[in-house]
Amino acid sequence: MARAAYEENNDPLEPMNRAMFKVDAGIDKALIRPVIKGYRAVVPAQGRKGIDNFLNNIRSPITFINDILQGEITRAGQTLGRMALNTGVGFFGFFDVAEKWGIEDHNEDFGQTLAVWGVGDGPYVYVPLLGPTTARDGIGFGIDAFLTDPLAWYSRGTGAMNWVEWAYFGSAYIDTKDVTMDPLDELKKSSLDYYAALRSSYRQIRAKEIRNGAPGPMEDFDQ
Amino acid sequence: MPTLSRRAFASGVSAIALLSVAAPLSAVMAQAQPDAAAFVGDFTRKGITDILSAPTATTEKQQRFRDMFKTYFDLPGIGRFVLTRYWAAATPEEQAKFTKLFEDVIVYTWSRRFSEYNGQSLMIQGQQADGKDGTLVKSTIVGNNSSHFGVDWRLRKRPEGFKVLDIVIEGVSMAITYRQDYSTVISQTGSFAGLLAQMEKQVADLKAQQGA
Repeated sequence: MARAAYEENNDPLEPMNRAMFKVDAGIDKALIRPVIKGYRAVVPAQGRKGIDNFLNNIRSPITFINDILQGEITRAGQTLGRMALNTGVGFFGFFDVAEKWGIEDHNEDFGQTLAVWGVGDGPYVYVPLLGPTTARDGIGFGIDAFLTDPLAWYSRGTGAMNWVEWAYFGSAYIDTKDVTMDPLDELKKSSLDYYAALRSSYRQIRAKEIRNGAPGPMEDFDQ
Repeated sequence: MPTLSRRAFASGVSAIALLSVAAPLSAVMAQAQPDAAAFVGDFTRKGITDILSAPTATTEKQQRFRDMFKTYFDLPGIGRFVLTRYWAAATPEEQAKFTKLFEDVIVYTWSRRFSEYNGQSLMIQGQQADGKDGTLVKSTIVGNNSSHFGVDWRLRKRPEGFKVLDIVIEGVSMAITYRQDYSTVISQTGSFAGLLAQMEKQVADLKAQQGA
């Protein structure tokens, strides 16, 4: 019984992950939460949505490149269309005009590309500040950050990590925390073991992302 | 979390916690609705009239929600799925205690969010077969700021009619998440009784917060 559960969890690093999870909770409470509260007090919801759209738009080259790497030509076209519409008509990406015109947003990254190429996800890893990930997705994130992200090339072209890239990382981080803080708090309140519930939710959402939203395999309920 | 689209994560996680926003059916289907879709439409509509927008006290709403949940959801089936191998290993008293506690957990977790209902609407998108005698009904919940997320209802046809077995929100299954949460608690506390104790505490805390 215990063995099956152990294998299903695929979390051989669990003791370390839980320790990192605790560290992260501490950082979150002491540092991140006050910043987000301040951010929300200063910038109204509309504005924060605009910033979220803007940052999402900046990220679209990464999505585009990974669409191509996965052979998803139609989706690559959608990404391009969104980039053009939102940057132009949407005022540098602040307004998600494309969504209103029916071109849905989607997200691709190198971790998903590796998955599509057949790489298994590897053990679950909880990284302070970055949150839940897997061995494969962590590597994918690194590759996106240094290779597929055009901002990274710009930085290297002009010399060491410059303020543009720091500003981008910083604001992307705050935006991510702003968007995910409330759902995560809610998950914490409705679960017994928040660490396990988060691990489970992460895996399920990730699997759906990799399938590009197609219906997944359903477990049989009746035993 | 950069390795997962923050939007996918936000909608997935917030959706699983937002299960109480069942809403009236604003159907966009021209043809006659088959059984399963109509079933979902009916009870979500009932949920909004009798619970979410009803002008009654919280305790009354909780009772109505409890009754609806026991009527429309296959609580014993869900409980067995959530516990998997641990169900068969538990004594009948433990099984009964678990089922009652699980029911309380669902009622008090979701009733906390009743007041957040804000006129969202539910649109049935369609349905497909799900196993031997199951149906998957796909729907979308549309919020006021044009936010939307997908909710799939897994139904089984039992002798007494359809029963909901699971809700999958933006890819996150309620039953699977509970299962992985609870199996971790059992292995961490070392026993089934450990899980029951934590569930009892959670229910007590939730009730206290809501003044129930």
